[in-house]
Order: sequence, then C-alpha cells, then structure tokens
Amino acid sequence: MTLGPLKQTPPAGPASGKAPEPTRATNRMSRSQRAVAVPRAPWLLILPSLVLALFIISYPIFNIVYQSLHDVSRFGQIRGFSGLQNFYNVFSDPVFLSALQNTLIWTFCVVVGTVLISVPVALILNQDFYGRGVARTIVMLPWSVSLTMTAVVWRWAFNDDYGMVNVTLQRLGVIAGPIHWLATPQYAFPVEIAVGILVSIPFTTTILLGGLSSVPGDIYEAARIDGASAWQQFRRLTLPLLKPFINMAILLNVIYVFNSFPIIWVMTQGGPDDSTHILVTYLYELGFRLGRPGEAAAVSLVMLVILFVFSVAYLRVQSKRGGGAEGDLA
Amino acid sequence: MNRKLKRSLWCWLALSPLVVAVLFPFAVMFFTSFKPASEVFVYPARWLPMHWRWQNYVDMWQAANFGVALRNSIVISCLSTALALAVSLPAAYALARFPFRGRGLYRQFLLVTQMLSPILLVVGLFRLAAMIPYGDGNLVDSKLGVIVSYAAFNIAFAVWMLSSYFQTVPRDLEESAWLEGCSRSGAVLRVFLPLAVPAVVVTAIFTFISAWNEFAVVYTLIRSPENKTLTVQVTDMVAGKYTVEWELVMAATLAATLPVSVVFAWLQRYMVKGLALGAVK
Repeated sequence: MTLGPLKQTPPAGPASGKAPEPTRATNRMSRSQRAVAVPRAPWLLILPSLVLALFIISYPIFNIVYQSLHDVSRFGQIRGFSGLQNFYNVFSDPVFLSALQNTLIWTFCVVVGTVLISVPVALILNQDFYGRGVARTIVMLPWSVSLTMTAVVWRWAFNDDYGMVNVTLQRLGVIAGPIHWLATPQYAFPVEIAVGILVSIPFTTTILLGGLSSVPGDIYEAARIDGASAWQQFRRLTLPLLKPFINMAILLNVIYVFNSFPIIWVMTQGGPDDSTHILVTYLYELGFRLGRPGEAAAVSLVMLVILFVFSVAYLRVQSKRGGGAEGDLA
Repeated sequence: MNRKLKRSLWCWLALSPLVVAVLFPFAVMFFTSFKPASEVFVYPARWLPMHWRWQNYVDMWQAANFGVALRNSIVISCLSTALALAVSLPAAYALARFPFRGRGLYRQFLLVTQMLSPILLVVGLFRLAAMIPYGDGNLVDSKLGVIVSYAAFNIAFAVWMLSSYFQTVPRDLEESAWLEGCSRSGAVLRVFLPLAVPAVVVTAIFTFISAWNEFAVVYTLIRSPENKTLTVQVTDMVAGKYTVEWELVMAATLAATLPVSVVFAWLQRYMVKGLALGAVK
C-alpha cells in the first residue's frame, strides 16, 4: 500500500497502544494525543459500511451455495439434498458450454477492443485543441445512459427493415439490401460486442485520462530536446507511465463486462437459437424463466470461481512483474 | 495559433468515428420519438419525420405509466444514494485520515464487493428479500429491498471516490482547529466537511446515476407496475411484445435519459480526477 510521500517522523512510543507498524501507523498521528488515544475510531467509522455490505453479500452467497447443492422447485421450495446434481446438469447442458465459450469471447473482445480504442482516444483528449471540452463530453456521454436504454435504442436501430443502421448503410451504398443483424447468429453477437465496446470506452478513457494528467509535462520537454520522435516518446514514456492505469482498466473492465447483463438480454435475450447467451443471461434464464433456481445458483458459483481465479491471478502477475504501486490496485 | 488550428482538425478527424457512434443512438431516439406511428414503419425508412408529432410524448406518458415510474426511480435513487453516503462518508474519512491496521484488508474487501455484481448474486438476493418480513409480505416487490441493495453495491465506489478527494484536503486545517481547542469530531464538522462538500456532491450524483440506470436488481425484485422504475418500464414496452410502438419507446428513453445525460455532461470532468486518484493510491 503506497501512502504517498508521508513525512518520515520518528515512531511514537508505546503510548499509541500496539503501534503495529510504527513508520507509517503513527507518524502524523503522534502530533495529537487525541488521535492516538482512539485506535478503535477507524474501525467504528468503517463499521456501518462493512455491516451493510456484508449483510447484502454474505447471505446471498451462502444461499447460492445452499441452493446449488439442493433440489429446488421453481418456487424456491427446497426438496432435498442433491449433491452435485445441479452442477452435473449444468455442465452437461450444451447451452451452458456455448454460453461459457461466448462469455470468454465476449469478455476478451470487449475488453481488448475497449482498451485499444481508449488509449488513442485518451491521448487525443489529452492534447490541447479547440473544442476539447465538447469532445470529452461527447466521448463520456454513453456512460450517462442506462445500459438497458442503450440496448433498447440499438435494438431499434438494428431493426431489419426500419432501423436506422440499415437505412444509413443503404443510403451510403455500403450494402445493397437490409441485413438481418439481430436475427442472424453470425451478426448478432458481433453487433452486441460492438455495443459493449462503445459503452465501455467512457469509463476506460476516464481512468486513462486521470493517468495522463499525472504525467509531468517536462519529461516530454526533455525527451524532445534529446531528439526523441513522437513514437519513441509514446513507447518509452507515455506507455510505461500509463501501464498501471491500463492494468487497472483491464481488471475492472473484465469484471464489469463479464457480469454485463442488459445489453444481451435486451437485444437478443440469448437468441437466435441460444447462440448469443453468455453466462449471466443463461443464469437469469435458468433462475427466473425456466424455473431451475438450483442450476442457476450452480452457474453463479461457477462464475464466482472464474472471476475470483482471474482476479487473483491477474493481481499476482501484475505485482510480480511491476512491483510497487502496480500490484496495489486494491 | 495556426498550428493549434491544424492540430484541432486532426484531433476531431481522428475522433469522428467515435463521435458518430456515440451520437447515433441519440439521433435515433430523437427523430423516432417525433414520428407519427404511420411513418415509423414505412419502407424505405427515412431519418427525419415528415410531420413532427409532439403528441407522442403525451401518449408515451400514458402508455409507459411514465409518471409513476419516474417517481419510483427518483425515490429509489435518492434514498439509496442517501444510505450509501451515510455509511461511506465515515469509512472514506477513516481511509483518508487514519493509517490503521487492516486498511489494506478493507480496501481489498471493497474490491471484492465490486467484483460481486448484483447479477451474480441475484438468485440469492431474491431469496434474501423473500426471507425478510416487511409490511404484509416480504421485501420482494418492495422499494426498500431495492434501495438497501443499491446502497450496499455502491459503497465501494462511493468510498473510493470520497477517500481520494479527502486525501487532497489538507490535514493542517483540522490540526490547527484541534490546537485551538476544537474536538476531533468538531473539527471534522466545522472545518473538514465544508471543504469536502463538492466531493460529496459529485459522489452523490454519480451514485444517483448508477442507481437510476440499474436494471438487474429491480427487474428481479420488483413485480407490480406501481413499483417499477423507468429502466424496467421501458424494457417492458419492448420485451415479449408482437408490436412494439417504437415511437413511444424512443420518446420514453429520451425523456428518461436526457436529464441524467445533461447533469453527467456537466460533471464528468470531476470524475477523471476522482477515479484516477482513488485507483492507484
């Protein structure tokens, strides 16, 4: 945990109770007796948030584990312990396997696409040019719209005969006749990925812009004097300085995109022919449409495990490779 | 000066595909919402309405039960924001001011709650709501259940934003207040909080927007029309219908979106600072 440039004052004496990590636990506090006298204060301050978050999270997790191990009726009645039967049912369902595969494709494509677009966009928005404020606002705009609403609008825009996408493309002469975007398996999923990228750009760009604003301008001055080209400046200066921010953007985006429900649910509901299901939409359909809550709980658990393994592995790799602040996302 | 003009042209040129893609749905919403029903389904379709039909917005208000949904969205978003802030403010203050043991652990806990999106827990969340007695029945189909879960899922974001701003408020001001005989909590109330007001307002608005836009939890927990929020109401106009009245749907999405977008456009620059500071600190 980097605390920033804290002044190195001598560690306070035993007056501060346990004083576990003297160098940083007490440096500034030691100035005031009042602050030192209440080592429990921070815990009291974070307690309400901890209780509320734990309350909303712990029971559902417990309940999901419980339901996944039981035979549950569509109305939630527990009919008895069933061991791993729910998991077995899920894993032998071809829709689950294709949803799993789709989830990986979906997450990978959306996150990679988002980062590849957001880095240049952030670099441009960090330039000094006329209308930059307007440009920033426009790029951020999709963030303000509910994903549900965005999906509803795009569903209409991609309508076969009357949607504006086909109309515009035909006017421009790009396509000859209307394309059945959302009714064709080969098109529906890429269209949803594109929408997913579009709505993820604002958040990612925001993080990267924050990173760029912390880069001191004079290092570029120095690089220019040394004769570095624009590309070299980008490769050698900007990219390494942006790296921790890109890493964080990737981690958070993977979490968000992996869990993203409304776009696919509203645009295709997993269809046509279950070809666009990802795990969340499959989970929702099992739990609240097909009346198989036990299996839905099993899918939830599988997803939790995937997310957890990914996050731990990612943070581990990052902290090993970069050390210091980069592993310190938490 | 001339160089800047040239650079501006290049920048806008490079951004133009993205700008078009972002503004496209807004244009679709806007133009469709003013078309008479007879113009929505004509082939070949056209962008601009021939007759601008303002009446669509009046019809939509009825068809979407917009007034009720609007009130529900406002109530749920306001109360969940208030609750999230009430628990996040002290936590953020603790993170920014006390280098206590377990601080890293708490931050990791917040990251984990970020990871557990409501949709993953939705099956269990539903059972939790069904288990807690409230009024005549339980928390399913009550606004309270939705409010509490929104608040809980927004804690991580709110603490993150707030504590990163709090760290930029100079400590010396509070400390000099102590020296003048102010108690610690007095100093927080009289010196610190007034300085932190902008940060709190910005965080509140973003929390509000995320509650306003949320879908999965309300969609699952809320059943009756009189409790539905805007996102669910609009989805209901589209999902599982043979004929969708797209001009009304677009009017509803635009009416539900525009106010939030305007506020967001005005505030987005604060976001850049707050998120980045909180993230890599």
